[in-house]
Amino acid sequence: MTLRQLPANLIIGAILVILVLGVALLSTIWTPYDHAALSISNKFQGPSFAHLLGTDQLGRDVVSQLMVAAGNSMVVAVTAVFIGGTIGTMLGLLASAKGGWVEDLVMRLSDLGFAFPALLFAIMLAAAFGPSLPNVVIAIAFINIPVFARVSRASANQIWTREYVFAARAAGLGKIAISRDHILPNIAAPVIVQATIEFALAILIEAALSYLGLGAQPPSPSWGRMLSEAQTLMYLAPQLAVYPGLAIVTAVLGFGLLGDGLRDISDPRLARER
Amino acid sequence: MIELKNMSVNLGIFSAVRGVDLVIKPGDRIGVVGESGCGKSMLALSIMGMVPDALSTVGSLIVDGQELIDAPESTWTAHRARTMSMIFQEPMAALNPLRRIGDIVAEPLLVHDGLGKSAARARVIDLFTEVGIPQPELRLRQYPHELSGGQRQRVLIALALACNPRLLIADEPTTALDANVALRITDLLVELAQERNMALLFISHDLGAVSRATRDILVMYGGDIVERGTTQQVLQEPAHPYTQGLIAARPQISQTATRRKRLPTIAGSVPALINLPKGCRFSGRCPRELAKCASTRPRAVTTDQGSTVMCHLFEGGTAQ
Repeated sequence: MTLRQLPANLIIGAILVILVLGVALLSTIWTPYDHAALSISNKFQGPSFAHLLGTDQLGRDVVSQLMVAAGNSMVVAVTAVFIGGTIGTMLGLLASAKGGWVEDLVMRLSDLGFAFPALLFAIMLAAAFGPSLPNVVIAIAFINIPVFARVSRASANQIWTREYVFAARAAGLGKIAISRDHILPNIAAPVIVQATIEFALAILIEAALSYLGLGAQPPSPSWGRMLSEAQTLMYLAPQLAVYPGLAIVTAVLGFGLLGDGLRDISDPRLARER
Repeated sequence: MIELKNMSVNLGIFSAVRGVDLVIKPGDRIGVVGESGCGKSMLALSIMGMVPDALSTVGSLIVDGQELIDAPESTWTAHRARTMSMIFQEPMAALNPLRRIGDIVAEPLLVHDGLGKSAARARVIDLFTEVGIPQPELRLRQYPHELSGGQRQRVLIALALACNPRLLIADEPTTALDANVALRITDLLVELAQERNMALLFISHDLGAVSRATRDILVMYGGDIVERGTTQQVLQEPAHPYTQGLIAARPQISQTATRRKRLPTIAGSVPALINLPKGCRFSGRCPRELAKCASTRPRAVTTDQGSTVMCHLFEGGTAQ
Protein backbone atom coordinates (compact mmCIF):
# COMPACT_ATOMS: atom_id res chain seq x y z
CA MET A 1 0.00 0.00 0.00
CA THR A 2 1.52 3.29 -1.05
CA LEU A 3 1.09 6.54 0.81
CA ARG A 4 -1.52 7.76 -1.68
CA GLN A 5 -3.78 4.76 -1.06
CA LEU A 6 -3.94 5.38 2.68
CA PRO A 7 -7.30 6.74 3.83
CA ALA A 8 -7.40 10.51 4.42
CA ASN A 9 -8.57 10.13 8.02
CA LEU A 10 -5.49 8.08 8.80
CA ILE A 11 -3.11 10.68 7.35
CA ILE A 12 -4.80 13.69 8.96
CA GLY A 13 -5.09 11.83 12.25
CA ALA A 14 -1.45 10.81 12.16
CA ILE A 15 -0.31 14.40 11.46
CA LEU A 16 -2.35 15.78 14.36
CA VAL A 17 -1.17 13.02 16.71
CA ILE A 18 2.48 13.56 15.77
CA LEU A 19 1.99 17.31 16.36
CA VAL A 20 0.50 16.80 19.83
CA LEU A 21 3.00 14.09 20.84
CA GLY A 22 5.88 16.21 19.51
CA VAL A 23 4.79 19.22 21.57
CA ALA A 24 4.32 17.00 24.63
CA LEU A 25 7.81 15.51 24.23
CA LEU A 26 9.35 18.93 23.62
CA SER A 27 7.80 20.27 26.82
CA THR A 28 9.87 17.83 28.86
CA ILE A 29 13.12 19.46 27.69
CA TRP A 30 12.18 22.98 26.64
CA THR A 31 9.41 25.53 27.02
CA PRO A 32 9.67 29.24 26.14
CA TYR A 33 9.15 30.22 29.80
CA ASP A 34 8.65 28.46 33.09
CA HIS A 35 4.95 27.60 32.80
CA ALA A 36 4.31 28.56 36.44
CA ALA A 37 6.33 31.78 36.55
CA LEU A 38 4.02 34.63 37.58
CA SER A 39 4.41 38.15 36.28
CA ILE A 40 1.47 40.22 37.36
CA SER A 41 2.69 43.30 35.49
CA ASN A 42 2.50 41.33 32.23
CA LYS A 43 -1.02 39.96 32.64
CA PHE A 44 -3.54 39.72 29.76
CA GLN A 45 -0.99 40.46 27.06
CA GLY A 46 -2.02 39.79 23.49
CA PRO A 47 0.05 37.70 21.08
CA SER A 48 3.57 39.03 20.53
CA PHE A 49 6.99 37.67 19.65
CA ALA A 50 7.88 37.46 23.32
CA HIS A 51 4.65 35.58 24.17
CA LEU A 52 3.31 33.92 21.00
CA LEU A 53 -0.15 33.41 22.44
CA GLY A 54 0.05 36.11 25.07
CA THR A 55 -0.24 35.71 28.84
CA ASP A 56 -3.07 34.86 31.23
CA GLN A 57 -4.59 36.64 34.24
CA LEU A 58 -1.46 36.01 36.33
CA GLY A 59 0.96 36.88 33.53
CA ARG A 60 1.97 33.26 32.86
CA ASP A 61 3.01 32.39 29.31
CA VAL A 62 0.10 30.60 27.57
CA VAL A 63 2.29 28.65 25.11
CA SER A 64 4.39 27.19 27.92
CA GLN A 65 1.28 26.21 29.85
CA LEU A 66 -0.32 24.55 26.81
CA MET A 67 2.89 22.59 26.16
CA VAL A 68 3.25 21.27 29.70
CA ALA A 69 -0.48 20.52 29.80
CA ALA A 70 -0.09 18.49 26.59
CA GLY A 71 2.59 16.43 28.32
CA ASN A 72 0.39 15.86 31.39
CA SER A 73 -2.54 14.92 29.22
CA MET A 74 -0.51 12.40 27.20
CA VAL A 75 1.01 10.81 30.31
CA VAL A 76 -2.43 10.38 31.86
CA ALA A 77 -3.96 8.98 28.68
CA VAL A 78 -1.07 6.61 27.91
CA THR A 79 -0.81 5.21 31.42
CA ALA A 80 -4.55 4.87 31.89
CA VAL A 81 -5.25 3.23 28.53
CA PHE A 82 -2.20 0.99 28.93
CA ILE A 83 -3.21 -0.23 32.40
CA GLY A 84 -6.91 -0.58 31.53
CA GLY A 85 -6.12 -2.12 28.15
CA THR A 86 -3.70 -4.70 29.58
CA ILE A 87 -6.03 -5.81 32.36
CA GLY A 88 -9.06 -5.77 30.06
CA THR A 89 -7.33 -7.72 27.29
CA MET A 90 -6.08 -10.32 29.75
CA LEU A 91 -9.57 -10.73 31.18
CA GLY A 92 -10.98 -11.04 27.67
CA LEU A 93 -8.40 -13.68 26.74
CA LEU A 94 -9.13 -15.56 29.96
CA ALA A 95 -12.88 -15.44 29.35
CA SER A 96 -12.41 -16.69 25.82
CA ALA A 97 -10.00 -19.48 26.80
CA LYS A 98 -11.97 -20.78 29.77
CA GLY A 99 -15.51 -20.31 28.51
CA GLY A 100 -18.35 -21.48 30.74
CA TRP A 101 -18.96 -19.65 34.00
CA VAL A 102 -15.66 -17.74 33.84
CA GLU A 103 -16.67 -16.19 30.55
CA ASP A 104 -20.16 -15.41 31.86
CA LEU A 105 -18.74 -13.80 34.98
CA VAL A 106 -16.27 -11.59 33.09
CA MET A 107 -18.89 -10.52 30.58
CA ARG A 108 -21.57 -9.74 33.18
CA LEU A 109 -19.04 -7.72 35.18
CA SER A 110 -18.16 -5.80 32.03
CA ASP A 111 -21.88 -5.20 31.44
CA LEU A 112 -21.93 -3.73 34.92
CA GLY A 113 -18.99 -1.50 33.99
CA PHE A 114 -20.82 -0.32 30.87
CA ALA A 115 -23.92 0.49 32.89
CA PHE A 116 -22.13 3.46 34.48
CA PRO A 117 -21.56 6.49 32.25
CA ALA A 118 -17.77 6.75 32.00
CA LEU A 119 -17.49 10.38 33.07
CA LEU A 120 -19.90 9.99 35.96
CA PHE A 121 -17.94 7.00 37.19
CA ALA A 122 -14.68 8.95 37.00
CA ILE A 123 -16.23 11.83 38.95
CA MET A 124 -17.42 9.36 41.56
CA LEU A 125 -13.95 7.86 41.97
CA ALA A 126 -12.23 11.24 42.04
CA ALA A 127 -14.74 12.48 44.62
CA ALA A 128 -14.23 9.39 46.77
CA PHE A 129 -10.43 9.26 46.67
CA GLY A 130 -9.61 12.90 46.30
CA PRO A 131 -8.74 14.97 43.24
CA SER A 132 -5.28 14.19 41.82
CA LEU A 133 -3.75 13.03 38.55
CA PRO A 134 -3.03 9.46 39.78
CA ASN A 135 -6.69 9.09 40.73
CA VAL A 136 -7.71 10.33 37.30
CA VAL A 137 -5.43 7.65 35.80
CA ILE A 138 -7.03 4.95 37.97
CA ALA A 139 -10.54 6.12 37.08
CA ILE A 140 -9.86 6.16 33.32
CA ALA A 141 -8.04 2.81 33.50
CA PHE A 142 -11.01 1.30 35.29
CA ILE A 143 -13.44 2.58 32.68
CA ASN A 144 -11.30 1.00 29.97
CA ILE A 145 -11.20 -2.51 31.43
CA PRO A 146 -14.66 -3.64 30.25
CA VAL A 147 -14.15 -2.06 26.83
CA PHE A 148 -10.98 -4.05 26.18
CA ALA A 149 -12.37 -7.20 27.79
CA ARG A 150 -15.19 -7.13 25.24
CA VAL A 151 -13.12 -6.37 22.19
CA SER A 152 -10.48 -8.97 22.99
CA ARG A 153 -12.97 -11.68 23.95
CA ALA A 154 -15.00 -11.20 20.78
CA SER A 155 -11.87 -11.31 18.60
CA ALA A 156 -10.35 -14.19 20.56
CA ASN A 157 -13.49 -16.30 20.22
CA GLN A 158 -13.10 -16.07 16.46
CA ILE A 159 -9.45 -17.12 16.59
CA TRP A 160 -10.19 -20.10 18.85
CA THR A 161 -12.15 -21.71 16.03
CA ARG A 162 -9.20 -21.52 13.61
CA GLU A 163 -7.59 -24.72 12.53
CA TYR A 164 -4.11 -23.63 13.65
CA VAL A 165 -5.41 -23.39 17.19
CA PHE A 166 -6.67 -26.95 16.77
CA ALA A 167 -3.26 -27.99 15.53
CA ALA A 168 -1.62 -26.31 18.52
CA ARG A 169 -3.96 -28.13 20.89
CA ALA A 170 -3.20 -31.39 19.12
CA ALA A 171 0.48 -30.62 19.66
CA GLY A 172 -0.18 -30.54 23.39
CA LEU A 173 -0.28 -26.81 24.10
CA GLY A 174 -2.44 -25.73 27.02
CA LYS A 175 -4.95 -22.91 26.93
CA ILE A 176 -2.60 -20.36 28.45
CA ALA A 177 0.20 -21.13 25.98
CA ILE A 178 -2.25 -20.96 23.06
CA SER A 179 -3.67 -17.66 24.32
CA ARG A 180 -0.19 -16.18 24.59
CA ASP A 181 1.36 -17.54 21.40
CA HIS A 182 -1.53 -17.80 18.96
CA ILE A 183 -4.52 -15.77 20.13
CA LEU A 184 -2.80 -12.58 21.33
CA PRO A 185 -0.82 -11.86 18.12
CA ASN A 186 -3.97 -12.38 16.08
CA ILE A 187 -6.17 -10.02 18.11
CA ALA A 188 -3.49 -7.31 18.29
CA ALA A 189 -4.98 -5.32 15.38
CA PRO A 190 -8.48 -4.75 16.82
CA VAL A 191 -7.03 -4.13 20.29
CA ILE A 192 -4.61 -1.48 18.97
CA VAL A 193 -7.40 0.22 17.02
CA GLN A 194 -9.55 0.25 20.15
CA ALA A 195 -6.63 1.63 22.19
CA THR A 196 -6.24 4.57 19.80
CA ILE A 197 -9.93 5.43 20.02
CA GLU A 198 -9.91 5.02 23.81
CA PHE A 199 -6.92 7.36 23.87
CA ALA A 200 -9.06 10.16 22.44
CA LEU A 201 -11.75 9.48 25.03
CA ALA A 202 -9.17 9.40 27.83
CA ILE A 203 -7.89 12.87 26.84
CA LEU A 204 -11.46 14.14 26.84
CA ILE A 205 -12.24 12.64 30.26
CA GLU A 206 -9.02 13.98 31.73
CA ALA A 207 -9.87 17.45 30.43
CA ALA A 208 -13.42 17.18 31.77
CA LEU A 209 -12.25 16.09 35.23
CA SER A 210 -9.66 18.87 35.36
CA TYR A 211 -12.31 21.34 34.23
CA LEU A 212 -14.35 20.26 37.24
CA GLY A 213 -11.30 20.66 39.46
CA LEU A 214 -10.99 16.91 40.04
CA GLY A 215 -7.85 16.39 37.98
CA ALA A 216 -4.47 18.12 37.89
CA GLN A 217 -4.00 20.47 40.84
CA PRO A 218 -2.32 23.88 40.54
CA PRO A 219 0.35 24.77 39.61
CA SER A 220 0.45 21.72 37.31
CA PRO A 221 -1.30 22.98 34.16
CA SER A 222 -4.04 21.13 32.36
CA TRP A 223 -6.13 22.02 29.32
CA GLY A 224 -9.32 21.39 31.25
CA ARG A 225 -8.38 23.67 34.13
CA MET A 226 -7.09 26.40 31.80
CA LEU A 227 -10.54 26.27 30.22
CA SER A 228 -12.37 26.57 33.52
CA GLU A 229 -10.15 29.45 34.68
CA ALA A 230 -10.68 31.25 31.38
CA GLN A 231 -14.43 30.82 31.69
CA THR A 232 -14.62 33.35 34.50
CA LEU A 233 -12.70 35.84 32.35
CA MET A 234 -14.82 35.29 29.25
CA TYR A 235 -15.56 39.00 28.69
CA LEU A 236 -12.11 40.20 29.68
CA ALA A 237 -9.93 37.83 27.63
CA PRO A 238 -11.99 35.42 25.48
CA GLN A 239 -8.85 34.19 23.68
CA LEU A 240 -7.73 32.39 26.86
CA ALA A 241 -10.66 29.96 26.49
CA VAL A 242 -10.04 29.41 22.79
CA TYR A 243 -6.44 28.13 23.09
CA PRO A 244 -6.97 25.17 25.45
CA GLY A 245 -10.23 24.38 23.65
CA LEU A 246 -8.36 24.15 20.33
CA ALA A 247 -5.67 22.03 21.96
CA ILE A 248 -8.29 19.53 23.22
CA VAL A 249 -10.00 19.43 19.83
CA THR A 250 -6.68 18.83 18.06
CA ALA A 251 -5.67 15.95 20.33
CA VAL A 252 -9.08 14.24 20.46
CA LEU A 253 -9.71 14.65 16.74
CA GLY A 254 -6.20 13.41 15.94
CA PHE A 255 -6.48 10.20 17.93
CA GLY A 256 -10.07 9.66 16.83
CA LEU A 257 -9.20 9.97 13.13
CA LEU A 258 -6.09 7.85 13.58
CA GLY A 259 -8.16 5.11 15.24
CA ASP A 260 -10.77 5.21 12.46
CA GLY A 261 -8.05 5.14 9.82
CA LEU A 262 -6.27 2.20 11.45
CA ARG A 263 -9.54 0.30 11.62
CA ASP A 264 -10.20 0.99 7.95
CA ILE A 265 -6.87 -0.41 6.83
CA SER A 266 -6.92 -3.34 9.25
CA ASP A 267 -10.41 -4.36 8.11
CA PRO A 268 -10.80 -3.45 4.42
CA ARG A 269 -14.39 -4.70 4.38
CA LEU A 270 -15.47 -1.78 6.56
CA ALA A 271 -13.74 0.78 4.36
CA ARG A 272 -15.36 -0.50 1.19
CA GLU A 273 -18.84 -0.40 2.65
CA ARG A 274 -18.73 3.33 3.19
CA MET B 1 -1.82 -48.92 24.22
CA ILE B 2 -5.11 -47.23 23.34
CA GLU B 3 -8.35 -49.12 23.73
CA LEU B 4 -11.84 -47.94 22.84
CA LYS B 5 -14.73 -50.02 24.21
CA ASN B 6 -18.27 -49.33 23.08
CA MET B 7 -17.37 -45.67 22.73
CA SER B 8 -19.91 -43.24 21.27
CA VAL B 9 -19.85 -39.55 20.48
CA ASN B 10 -23.30 -38.13 21.06
CA LEU B 11 -25.02 -34.90 20.19
CA GLY B 12 -28.02 -35.02 22.46
CA ILE B 13 -29.78 -38.30 21.65
CA PHE B 14 -28.04 -38.66 18.28
CA SER B 15 -24.75 -40.45 17.78
CA ALA B 16 -22.02 -39.22 15.44
CA VAL B 17 -19.98 -42.28 16.42
CA ARG B 18 -21.88 -45.30 17.72
CA GLY B 19 -20.44 -47.96 19.98
CA VAL B 20 -16.96 -48.29 18.50
CA ASP B 21 -14.53 -50.96 19.73
CA LEU B 22 -10.95 -50.43 18.69
CA VAL B 23 -7.53 -51.40 19.97
CA ILE B 24 -4.46 -49.51 18.76
CA LYS B 25 -1.04 -51.05 19.45
CA PRO B 26 2.41 -49.62 18.69
CA GLY B 27 3.29 -50.11 15.04
CA ASP B 28 -0.31 -50.56 13.93
CA ARG B 29 -1.23 -48.83 10.71
CA ILE B 30 -4.99 -48.51 10.52
CA GLY B 31 -6.91 -46.84 7.72
CA VAL B 32 -10.33 -45.28 8.21
CA VAL B 33 -12.47 -44.77 5.10
CA GLY B 34 -16.01 -43.62 4.44
CA GLU B 35 -17.89 -40.71 2.93
CA SER B 36 -17.82 -37.23 4.45
CA GLY B 37 -20.00 -37.06 7.54
CA CYS B 38 -19.56 -40.72 8.47
CA GLY B 39 -17.91 -40.01 11.79
CA LYS B 40 -14.29 -40.54 10.74
CA SER B 41 -13.06 -37.19 11.98
CA MET B 42 -15.22 -37.41 15.10
CA LEU B 43 -13.58 -40.76 15.91
CA ALA B 44 -10.17 -39.13 15.50
CA LEU B 45 -11.08 -36.13 17.65
CA SER B 46 -12.46 -38.37 20.40
CA ILE B 47 -9.12 -40.20 20.59
CA MET B 48 -7.45 -36.77 20.89
CA GLY B 49 -9.92 -35.65 23.55
CA MET B 50 -10.81 -32.74 21.30
CA VAL B 51 -14.48 -33.38 20.60
CA PRO B 52 -16.34 -30.02 20.38
CA ASP B 53 -18.00 -28.93 23.62
CA ALA B 54 -21.51 -29.43 22.29
CA LEU B 55 -20.90 -33.17 21.89
CA SER B 56 -20.24 -35.74 24.58
CA THR B 57 -18.26 -38.98 24.54
CA VAL B 58 -19.53 -42.01 26.42
CA GLY B 59 -18.27 -45.54 26.82
CA SER B 60 -14.68 -46.31 27.56
CA LEU B 61 -11.43 -44.86 26.21
CA ILE B 62 -8.40 -46.33 27.93
CA VAL B 63 -4.88 -45.04 27.37
CA ASP B 64 -2.10 -47.02 29.04
CA GLY B 65 -4.60 -48.52 31.47
CA GLN B 66 -6.01 -45.11 32.41
CA GLU B 67 -9.65 -44.31 31.71
CA LEU B 68 -9.80 -40.95 29.89
CA ILE B 69 -13.41 -40.74 28.79
CA ASP B 70 -14.33 -37.98 31.27
CA ALA B 71 -10.79 -36.75 31.91
CA PRO B 72 -10.33 -32.99 32.36
CA GLU B 73 -8.59 -30.90 29.71
CA SER B 74 -5.35 -30.80 31.72
CA THR B 75 -5.01 -34.61 31.63
CA TRP B 76 -5.54 -34.58 27.90
CA THR B 77 -3.04 -31.76 27.42
CA ALA B 78 -0.41 -33.91 29.11
CA HIS B 79 -1.19 -36.84 26.79
CA ARG B 80 -1.41 -34.91 23.54
CA ALA B 81 1.86 -34.64 21.61
CA ARG B 82 3.40 -37.42 23.74
CA THR B 83 0.88 -40.23 23.55
CA MET B 84 -1.15 -39.13 20.54
CA SER B 85 -0.81 -36.35 18.02
CA MET B 86 -2.69 -35.30 14.93
CA ILE B 87 -2.22 -33.70 11.54
CA PHE B 88 -4.96 -32.01 9.61
CA GLN B 89 -6.52 -31.78 6.23
CA GLU B 90 -5.77 -28.20 5.28
CA PRO B 91 -2.08 -27.38 5.83
CA MET B 92 -2.51 -23.65 5.18
CA ALA B 93 -5.25 -23.20 7.77
CA ALA B 94 -3.42 -25.30 10.34
CA LEU B 95 -0.43 -22.94 10.50
CA ASN B 96 -0.72 -19.58 12.22
CA PRO B 97 0.06 -17.05 9.44
CA LEU B 98 1.64 -14.61 11.90
CA ARG B 99 4.34 -16.94 13.24
CA ARG B 100 7.55 -18.33 11.82
CA ILE B 101 7.35 -22.06 11.19
CA GLY B 102 10.42 -22.69 13.35
CA ASP B 103 8.66 -21.06 16.30
CA ILE B 104 5.46 -23.00 15.69
CA VAL B 105 7.25 -26.35 15.74
CA ALA B 106 9.45 -25.36 18.70
CA GLU B 107 6.43 -24.51 20.85
CA PRO B 108 5.50 -27.99 22.12
CA LEU B 109 9.20 -28.62 22.81
CA LEU B 110 9.45 -25.51 25.00
CA VAL B 111 6.12 -26.04 26.72
CA HIS B 112 5.94 -29.83 26.94
CA ASP B 113 9.50 -31.08 27.07
CA GLY B 114 10.87 -28.02 28.85
CA LEU B 115 13.75 -27.61 26.42
CA GLY B 116 15.77 -24.41 26.26
CA LYS B 117 15.63 -22.19 23.19
CA SER B 118 18.79 -23.43 21.50
CA ALA B 119 18.07 -27.09 22.30
CA ALA B 120 14.58 -26.67 20.87
CA ARG B 121 16.02 -25.06 17.75
CA ALA B 122 18.43 -27.93 17.21
CA ARG B 123 15.59 -30.40 17.68
CA VAL B 124 13.41 -28.53 15.15
CA ILE B 125 16.23 -28.74 12.60
CA ASP B 126 16.45 -32.51 13.21
CA LEU B 127 12.69 -32.83 12.80
CA PHE B 128 12.68 -30.81 9.57
CA THR B 129 15.43 -33.02 8.21
CA GLU B 130 13.51 -36.12 9.26
CA VAL B 131 10.33 -35.04 7.44
CA GLY B 132 12.28 -34.03 4.34
CA ILE B 133 12.32 -30.25 4.46
CA PRO B 134 15.43 -29.08 2.60
CA GLN B 135 17.68 -26.39 4.11
CA PRO B 136 16.05 -26.55 7.55
CA GLU B 137 18.20 -23.74 9.00
CA LEU B 138 16.84 -21.29 6.42
CA ARG B 139 13.27 -22.57 6.61
CA LEU B 140 13.08 -21.98 10.35
CA ARG B 141 12.70 -18.26 9.81
CA GLN B 142 10.09 -18.45 7.07
CA TYR B 143 6.38 -17.81 7.43
CA PRO B 144 3.71 -20.32 6.33
CA HIS B 145 2.79 -18.35 3.20
CA GLU B 146 6.34 -18.73 1.88
CA LEU B 147 6.01 -22.53 1.66
CA SER B 148 4.28 -24.80 -0.85
CA GLY B 149 1.36 -27.00 0.20
CA GLY B 150 3.48 -30.12 0.48
CA GLN B 151 6.13 -28.31 2.56
CA ARG B 152 3.44 -26.97 4.87
CA GLN B 153 2.09 -30.46 5.42
CA ARG B 154 5.64 -31.57 6.23
CA VAL B 155 5.91 -28.75 8.78
CA LEU B 156 2.67 -29.96 10.37
CA ILE B 157 4.00 -33.49 10.49
CA ALA B 158 7.15 -32.16 12.19
CA LEU B 159 4.93 -30.29 14.67
CA ALA B 160 2.91 -33.43 15.38
CA LEU B 161 6.05 -35.53 15.83
CA ALA B 162 7.90 -32.99 17.99
CA CYS B 163 7.34 -34.80 21.29
CA ASN B 164 7.63 -38.35 19.86
CA PRO B 165 3.99 -39.42 20.04
CA ARG B 166 3.19 -43.14 20.03
CA LEU B 167 0.12 -42.64 17.86
CA LEU B 168 -0.16 -40.26 14.93
CA ILE B 169 -3.64 -39.54 13.62
CA ALA B 170 -3.64 -38.22 10.07
CA ASP B 171 -7.03 -36.72 9.20
CA GLU B 172 -7.16 -36.66 5.41
CA PRO B 173 -3.56 -35.45 5.23
CA THR B 174 -3.41 -35.54 1.45
CA THR B 175 -6.81 -34.18 0.44
CA ALA B 176 -5.56 -30.64 -0.23
CA LEU B 177 -2.43 -31.76 -2.10
CA ASP B 178 -1.87 -32.73 -5.71
CA ALA B 179 -1.53 -36.43 -6.51
CA ASN B 180 2.25 -36.53 -6.71
CA VAL B 181 2.83 -34.69 -3.44
CA ALA B 182 0.04 -36.71 -1.82
CA LEU B 183 1.86 -39.90 -2.71
CA ARG B 184 5.12 -38.66 -1.21
CA ILE B 185 3.43 -37.48 2.00
CA THR B 186 1.69 -40.85 2.32
CA ASP B 187 4.99 -42.70 1.93
CA LEU B 188 6.66 -40.35 4.39
CA LEU B 189 4.01 -41.10 7.02
CA VAL B 190 4.50 -44.86 6.55
CA GLU B 191 8.28 -44.51 6.78
CA LEU B 192 8.07 -42.42 9.94
CA ALA B 193 5.63 -44.85 11.52
CA GLN B 194 7.92 -47.78 10.78
CA GLU B 195 11.12 -46.06 11.92
CA ARG B 196 9.60 -44.88 15.16
CA ASN B 197 7.43 -47.96 15.81
CA MET B 198 4.60 -45.46 15.98
CA ALA B 199 0.95 -46.33 15.42
CA LEU B 200 -0.74 -44.56 12.51
CA LEU B 201 -4.44 -43.88 12.15
CA PHE B 202 -4.84 -42.83 8.53
CA ILE B 203 -8.15 -41.23 7.65
CA SER B 204 -8.77 -40.72 3.96
CA HIS B 205 -11.19 -40.74 1.04
CA ASP B 206 -8.40 -41.99 -1.13
CA LEU B 207 -8.61 -45.79 -1.16
CA GLY B 208 -5.35 -45.94 -3.11
CA ALA B 209 -3.49 -44.04 -0.41
CA VAL B 210 -5.09 -46.15 2.30
CA SER B 211 -4.11 -49.41 0.62
CA ARG B 212 -0.58 -48.11 0.26
CA ALA B 213 -0.24 -46.86 3.81
CA THR B 214 -2.12 -49.27 6.06
CA ARG B 215 -2.31 -52.90 7.12
CA ASP B 216 -5.77 -52.81 8.66
CA ILE B 217 -8.83 -50.87 7.66
CA LEU B 218 -12.05 -49.62 9.20
CA VAL B 219 -14.95 -48.72 6.94
CA MET B 220 -17.25 -46.24 8.64
CA TYR B 221 -20.80 -45.32 7.76
CA GLY B 222 -23.16 -43.21 9.84
CA GLY B 223 -20.98 -43.53 12.92
CA ASP B 224 -20.79 -47.33 12.75
CA ILE B 225 -17.74 -49.35 11.76
CA VAL B 226 -19.57 -51.38 9.12
CA GLU B 227 -16.59 -53.45 8.03
CA ARG B 228 -13.09 -54.05 9.32
CA GLY B 229 -10.25 -56.37 8.50
CA THR B 230 -6.88 -56.38 6.84
CA THR B 231 -6.64 -53.69 4.19
CA GLN B 232 -5.83 -56.23 1.51
CA GLN B 233 -8.78 -58.49 2.35
CA VAL B 234 -11.35 -55.70 2.65
CA LEU B 235 -10.32 -53.86 -0.51
CA GLN B 236 -10.03 -57.00 -2.62
CA GLU B 237 -13.09 -58.83 -1.36
CA PRO B 238 -15.36 -56.22 0.19
CA ALA B 239 -18.23 -57.90 2.01
CA HIS B 240 -20.46 -55.04 3.15
CA PRO B 241 -22.63 -53.50 0.40
CA TYR B 242 -21.36 -50.06 1.45
CA THR B 243 -17.71 -51.05 1.05
CA GLN B 244 -18.54 -52.56 -2.31
CA GLY B 245 -20.19 -49.32 -3.35
CA LEU B 246 -17.22 -47.24 -2.17
CA ILE B 247 -14.77 -49.34 -4.15
CA ALA B 248 -16.96 -49.35 -7.27
CA ALA B 249 -17.23 -45.56 -7.10
CA ARG B 250 -13.46 -45.13 -7.49
CA PRO B 251 -12.65 -43.32 -10.75
CA GLN B 252 -10.34 -45.22 -13.07
CA ILE B 253 -8.62 -43.47 -15.95
CA SER B 254 -8.96 -46.32 -18.45
CA GLN B 255 -12.65 -46.68 -17.76
CA THR B 256 -13.64 -43.06 -18.19
CA ALA B 257 -11.36 -42.37 -21.13
CA THR B 258 -12.12 -45.32 -23.36
CA ARG B 259 -15.58 -46.58 -22.53
CA ARG B 260 -17.11 -43.30 -21.44
CA LYS B 261 -19.20 -45.16 -18.94
CA ARG B 262 -20.75 -43.16 -16.14
CA LEU B 263 -18.91 -43.51 -12.85
CA PRO B 264 -20.90 -45.80 -10.56
CA THR B 265 -22.06 -44.04 -7.40
CA ILE B 266 -23.84 -44.94 -4.20
CA ALA B 267 -27.38 -43.67 -4.56
CA GLY B 268 -28.35 -40.79 -2.29
CA SER B 269 -26.09 -39.12 0.23
CA VAL B 270 -25.16 -39.52 3.88
CA PRO B 271 -28.24 -38.55 5.88
CA ALA B 272 -27.88 -35.83 8.51
CA LEU B 273 -27.31 -36.96 12.06
CA ILE B 274 -30.95 -36.39 13.01
CA ASN B 275 -32.28 -38.40 10.07
CA LEU B 276 -30.16 -41.51 10.47
CA PRO B 277 -32.21 -44.73 10.20
CA LYS B 278 -32.83 -46.65 13.41
CA GLY B 279 -31.56 -50.04 12.28
CA CYS B 280 -28.69 -50.43 9.87
CA ARG B 281 -27.62 -46.91 9.04
CA PHE B 282 -27.03 -47.80 5.43
CA SER B 283 -30.64 -48.89 4.94
CA GLY B 284 -32.42 -46.69 2.45
CA ARG B 285 -29.30 -46.45 0.27
CA CYS B 286 -28.35 -50.12 0.28
CA PRO B 287 -28.85 -52.01 -2.99
CA ARG B 288 -29.32 -55.33 -1.17
CA GLU B 289 -31.59 -54.18 1.59
CA LEU B 290 -33.68 -56.73 3.53
CA ALA B 291 -37.00 -56.11 5.26
CA LYS B 292 -35.52 -55.94 8.76
CA CYS B 293 -32.65 -53.61 7.87
CA ALA B 294 -34.47 -50.36 8.54
CA SER B 295 -35.62 -51.37 12.03
CA THR B 296 -33.01 -53.75 13.47
CA ARG B 297 -29.37 -52.91 14.00
CA PRO B 298 -27.15 -55.70 12.62
CA ARG B 299 -24.56 -57.36 14.84
CA ALA B 300 -20.91 -57.43 13.87
CA VAL B 301 -20.03 -60.88 12.51
CA THR B 302 -16.76 -62.34 11.34
CA THR B 303 -16.78 -63.71 7.82
CA ASP B 304 -14.98 -66.79 6.62
CA GLN B 305 -12.37 -64.52 5.07
CA GLY B 306 -11.54 -63.05 8.47
CA SER B 307 -13.01 -59.57 8.21
CA THR B 308 -15.76 -58.33 10.48
CA VAL B 309 -18.95 -57.05 8.93
CA MET B 310 -21.94 -55.33 10.44
CA CYS B 311 -24.68 -56.41 8.03
CA HIS B 312 -27.78 -58.65 8.18
CA LEU B 313 -26.67 -60.40 4.99
CA PHE B 314 -23.86 -62.07 6.91
CA GLU B 315 -25.59 -63.04 10.10
CA GLY B 316 -25.79 -66.69 9.07
CA GLY B 317 -21.98 -66.73 9.02
CA THR B 318 -21.51 -66.38 5.27
CA ALA B 319 -23.17 -64.24 2.65
CA GLN B 320 -26.74 -65.24 2.02
